[in-house]
Amino acid sequence: MISAPDVVAFTKEDEYEEEPYNEPALPEEYSVPLFPFASQGANPWSKLSGAKFSRDFILISEFSEQVGPQPLLTIPNDTKVFGTFDLNYFSLRIMSVDYQASFVGHPPGSAYPKLNFVEDSKVVLGDSKEGAFAYVHHLTLYDLEARGFVRPFCMAYISADQHKIMQQFQELSAEFSKASECLKTGNRKAFAGELEKKLKDLDYTRTVLHMETEIQKKANDKGFYSSQAIEKANELASVEKSIIEHQDLLKQIRSYPRRKSKGSDLCSRETEYTQDRPSQAATTSDPEESADTDRYTCRPAYTPKLIKAKSTKCFDKKLKTLEELCDTDYFTQTLAQLSHIERMFRGDLCYLLTSQIDRALLKQQHVTNFLFEDFAEADDRAVVRQESAPAEPSQDRPPSRSLEKCPIPQVLISVGSYRSSVESVLIKMEQELGDEEYKEVEGTESGSFDPQDNLDCLDMDMKGSISSGESIEVLGTEKATSVLSKSDSLGSLTVPLSPQVVRSKAVSHRTISEDSIEVLSTCPSEALIPDDFKASYPSAINEEESYADDGKGAIHFQVGTSPPEPGEAEEGSVENTPLQTDASCCIGKETGGPQVPLSSPALTLSDEEGVVSTPPQRSRQKDQGFHVDFAMENSNLSSRDHSSEGFPAYELDPSHLLASQDGSKTSLDDYSDSTSCVSSVASTSSDRMPSSAHPTGPSSERHKKRAGQNALKFIRQYPFAHPAIYSLLSGRTLVVLGEEEAMVRKLVTALSIFVPNYGCCAKPVKHWVSSPLHISDFQKWKLIGLQRAVSPAGTGALHALSRYSRYTSVLDLDRKTLRCPLYRGTLVPRLADRRTHIRRGSTYYMHVQSVLAQLCAKAFLYTFCHHLHLPTRGREAEAAAASRQASFLQLSLGLVNEDVKVVQYLAELLRLHYTQEHPGAIQPTLRFDYVPSFLYKI
Amino acid sequence: MSTLCPPPSPAVAKTEIALSGESPLLAATFAYWDNILGPRVRHIWAPKTEQLLLSDGEITFLANHTLNGEILRNAESGAIDVKFFVLSEKGVIIVSLIFDGNWNGDRSTYGLSIILPQTELSFYLPLHRVCVDRLTHIIRKGRIWMHKERQENFQKIVLEGTERMEDQGQSIIPMLTGEVIPVMELLSSMKSHSVPEEIDIADTVLNDDDIGDSCHEGFLLNAISSHLQTCGCSVVVGSSAEKVNKIVRTLCLFLTPAERKCSRLCEAESSFKYESGLFVQGLLKDSTGSFVLPFRQVMYAPYPTTHIDVDVNTVKQMPPCHEHIYNQRRYMRSELAAFWRATSEEDVAQDTVIYTDESFTPDLNIFQDVLHRDTLVKAFLDQVFHLKPGLSLRSTFLAQFLLVLHRKALTLIKYIEDDTQKGKKPFKSLRNLKIDLDLTAEGDLNIIMALAEKIKPGLHSFIFGRPFYTSVQERDVLMTF
Repeated sequence: MISAPDVVAFTKEDEYEEEPYNEPALPEEYSVPLFPFASQGANPWSKLSGAKFSRDFILISEFSEQVGPQPLLTIPNDTKVFGTFDLNYFSLRIMSVDYQASFVGHPPGSAYPKLNFVEDSKVVLGDSKEGAFAYVHHLTLYDLEARGFVRPFCMAYISADQHKIMQQFQELSAEFSKASECLKTGNRKAFAGELEKKLKDLDYTRTVLHMETEIQKKANDKGFYSSQAIEKANELASVEKSIIEHQDLLKQIRSYPRRKSKGSDLCSRETEYTQDRPSQAATTSDPEESADTDRYTCRPAYTPKLIKAKSTKCFDKKLKTLEELCDTDYFTQTLAQLSHIERMFRGDLCYLLTSQIDRALLKQQHVTNFLFEDFAEADDRAVVRQESAPAEPSQDRPPSRSLEKCPIPQVLISVGSYRSSVESVLIKMEQELGDEEYKEVEGTESGSFDPQDNLDCLDMDMKGSISSGESIEVLGTEKATSVLSKSDSLGSLTVPLSPQVVRSKAVSHRTISEDSIEVLSTCPSEALIPDDFKASYPSAINEEESYADDGKGAIHFQVGTSPPEPGEAEEGSVENTPLQTDASCCIGKETGGPQVPLSSPALTLSDEEGVVSTPPQRSRQKDQGFHVDFAMENSNLSSRDHSSEGFPAYELDPSHLLASQDGSKTSLDDYSDSTSCVSSVASTSSDRMPSSAHPTGPSSERHKKRAGQNALKFIRQYPFAHPAIYSLLSGRTLVVLGEEEAMVRKLVTALSIFVPNYGCCAKPVKHWVSSPLHISDFQKWKLIGLQRAVSPAGTGALHALSRYSRYTSVLDLDRKTLRCPLYRGTLVPRLADRRTHIRRGSTYYMHVQSVLAQLCAKAFLYTFCHHLHLPTRGREAEAAAASRQASFLQLSLGLVNEDVKVVQYLAELLRLHYTQEHPGAIQPTLRFDYVPSFLYKI
Repeated sequence: MSTLCPPPSPAVAKTEIALSGESPLLAATFAYWDNILGPRVRHIWAPKTEQLLLSDGEITFLANHTLNGEILRNAESGAIDVKFFVLSEKGVIIVSLIFDGNWNGDRSTYGLSIILPQTELSFYLPLHRVCVDRLTHIIRKGRIWMHKERQENFQKIVLEGTERMEDQGQSIIPMLTGEVIPVMELLSSMKSHSVPEEIDIADTVLNDDDIGDSCHEGFLLNAISSHLQTCGCSVVVGSSAEKVNKIVRTLCLFLTPAERKCSRLCEAESSFKYESGLFVQGLLKDSTGSFVLPFRQVMYAPYPTTHIDVDVNTVKQMPPCHEHIYNQRRYMRSELAAFWRATSEEDVAQDTVIYTDESFTPDLNIFQDVLHRDTLVKAFLDQVFHLKPGLSLRSTFLAQFLLVLHRKALTLIKYIEDDTQKGKKPFKSLRNLKIDLDLTAEGDLNIIMALAEKIKPGLHSFIFGRPFYTSVQERDVLMTF
């Protein structure tokens, strides 16, 4: 392989020598160090410690015609930053050359001085002895009193890391160009103003001289001019010439060629002076500009002065400061931009590089970004996506609005097939009141609605249908709420039950038990179960069945989203829309259940493809009506909730949940032993999307650090951290209960890093609630901080919590207990190893982000792996598909036990997000798992 | 300058270089600081073109600018500083290497510069490091020769009592020419054959219906894994340009856009030379089915290299980064020492002087089999082919994979930074690191370490304490933890 002659000479039998330094004395200055870091302590961080300044800073210098190069200001303006670094010397070094080398002044053959609008020069240089390297941006400002009317300045970004400067050259250049443009624009305005003032002075001087000359003329009747008169005449001529020169300069500065703004927003307000503009009346279209211009042009307060004939250009004059050379607003903006640059490039190069690579890679992952990425970044990316979205729909993409907005992946697939089972289970929103069963419930609920009653109904309904070990998933989205709330009557979501569930229902009526929850604990120091966790509600269900049965014995309820026409959902959708080949790519199935894609108004399903195997039958609903009554918020609440933390009104007025709520009845469909029940409560219009800031994002570095630190503490302090994190990752709401708000908030913030997001808005995290929880809270929030209070209201909150405790995980901070399903996977231990040696919160946060990115990749693969979700017909085919999926999850993705559920949940969210009508506004899902919970204690 | 200095002349010596393709380079110059006259241009190299790109006057003007201000030069002993200019008024970019040296009896400041049009800025920036590294090394050699020449001249003057003005200081120019021309050729070849910033996955192996369709599964796994373990630096050789380029593009998928722009596809008909410093390069074998890989240049590459032969499906890799750097430095020092000892111009001809250095015996067996298996690439390849080809699904999945790698690399850097208080304490807990960051497979650790090395140079050496561990020693260290 290596056959070059230069290696032949090395073919020797000698051993690899240990000490090759016996060469003759080559001076070290002509050699290279054997170890790149040998001279600086041999570590990758030490090269930055050689400099005399503590961190990067920006220096503005000027080549003064009076004193030569001099530093003007630094950003940040803190002497601690540049320390003992010699700014004077460095200014001398960076300003010692006129890199622009353009002629300004009287060019040969020109009658008047000419202004050259020179372009900025950019230079990277360094002082290796001082360990200082700089990106230097040279620019020229205009000053009427300066030599040649120009003042050379430069802005330098000074760093101890040479590679940082070169690797970030283009970014630095772009940012400094913005600052430079801003400064120069302000300077041109100031210069023009200065010229106009000067012209007024000259005009006034001319008038005075003219008058004096006239007086002399009148006084002189000898017929010849006196020497004084001649002097005056010369002076007048000189002023006349000066006026012409200054008018020419003004014309030049106003005729500054309008260049491309190069994306500089800073100078967006700039309206350049144009040649055809009247000289005195500023007639710009921009009122602000006019005002600014007036400051210089039509300032009535300005009183013209008489200009002496002698030139003022001498060394005793005081040159204008940088601030005086520039319009104040622009100067302020420039400083702000420079501060922005300083912040932008602050820190170690490796973090800058990685964040840039991160951003570039995340841009390619719109499908999965929303799950765990920062909102601020997601928002940025959303903007970029909007800007860069192709105008023409790709051939590969279905003509769906949602998919058009979502550039990747471009899958040739019917949107219908991507419809999540959460949405797509053919659950009809039954607004009619004809249903007898509804009427019965309605009788108790109409009039003044009591959410508590409503919840009672929920439990009452459920208790008769849930068999041992079966699990129920109730997923809800806001769409249903909003639609329901539009109706004055109690809406209900009706889901047809499959015969299979009817069978199970028939044989598995459960005995209601007072102490219905069996508590198991793996913790050694198991203690008595607090009363809070005991199921005091009489209708609680005894769950003695093993969690292992949850896969096959689960009953999943899905309450569908709100189709405008219920009939369409169950009939038209099934027949009309043919599925495309890749319909199978997006699962459209719940665990173990039949795949039942959503019949959205725009998208229908093909029965022929076998995706919908069990079309909903209205008649069955009557027979097998199984009702879960949800207390739904009205539309006003829904919209209010979207304004802070995603839901600000809610935050501000937690008690609203108890007020003016419409009860809605939901008839649940049961397809098989494992059926999902999803309630879709989606906002019907895009304007209800969360629009304001939220406390969980944008995540600053500080926030990340704190969250990571607290999460690290949590996993080290609590041996049951794994099941708690599992709850969050699998979509089961975790309630953190505690008396002290600060503690609860802290832990909620810490745990929020594990909470998958619904969309590119706020995370479904409620940091602090003091009022009783409502079922809709579980629909919105996946992590809730709940106040434990001794007041009656607090008792109510605990009572409500105990009511829902079987569907949620509860972490009691005061008693150090956790009640949640068992977790036996391998994924969470990698994410949260209590014996980890990671020391810092920020490092742990990075580690979590990297593991979660791996998890997202698995969920993505599972979601879009086409052969896994091929359309199936018949129960055997369904079983085969389920088996194929299970096998894939276990063998290809290496998932074991409960890890499967995590990936399935994330895949579900991906599907929802991908098929959403309004990307980024995915509806929160309400999911209740009837799986046995265990009590963990420290 | 002293009396030994040749008198300045308005006519600057110029070498015109005929290039086969388009040259993005306008000119290269060698200038010096004259103590009386200031900056002076000594030599100009320019591509031979029909159209005059820059007049000699303009080149001289620009080259003079590169030394302006260098009277204030404050550099460490032996430093070769890099200055980079973007002069919009002139529409050019200039890269200057400034150094001090003894020439003809005087210590002065010199500048070797290359000039490109400003429109080539984004083309040039990814190649900046390659150009600078190569020019830096030739300056190191030239500087030694300048010094030696001064001594010889001085001896001759003393012995003969005459001055041989015409001979003095000339040798540096041929020496510089020996590297300036290859740099011009490199830039020219990159202009026509560089890998595009965005790669269509359809042009790669990852678009196959199934793994193993166009190349053997194990070979692909080895190639990608080793490619990542050697910091994304690979040489792909083969007899079919199409086949070579497909692998080149595939490997480039795992690079950043800037790194792709520093990679080169294989020429269809005749082969390029191997170029030190490129990330991935495709090279065509000759009619005899062999390709000459110059040992010296492979050693001078900033990162270790993976050698991939698509004809016989072999993958070989160089030792890890820290060991490669150590070997490279030793080689460089030996080469410079040999120059220092050389007695005649013939002795210092490139690639021959090293023969004289008997004290240095490099390990020729630098390419070894890929020993460390990884789980990251394996899992990726096992999974990516489950996704339907022809869509953007695989690109998204690839981006996710790369994101995970980068995040792991950053976490690793931060982990070490925390553990050692930014290098103040030695790093002793490699075992903990591997467990905590889920990098227990050695191949995984190598991949993440290689990635981390690129964004935090010197990390590898720092972790393993003594930077000159051989791979075997390193493995021992790893195993003992």
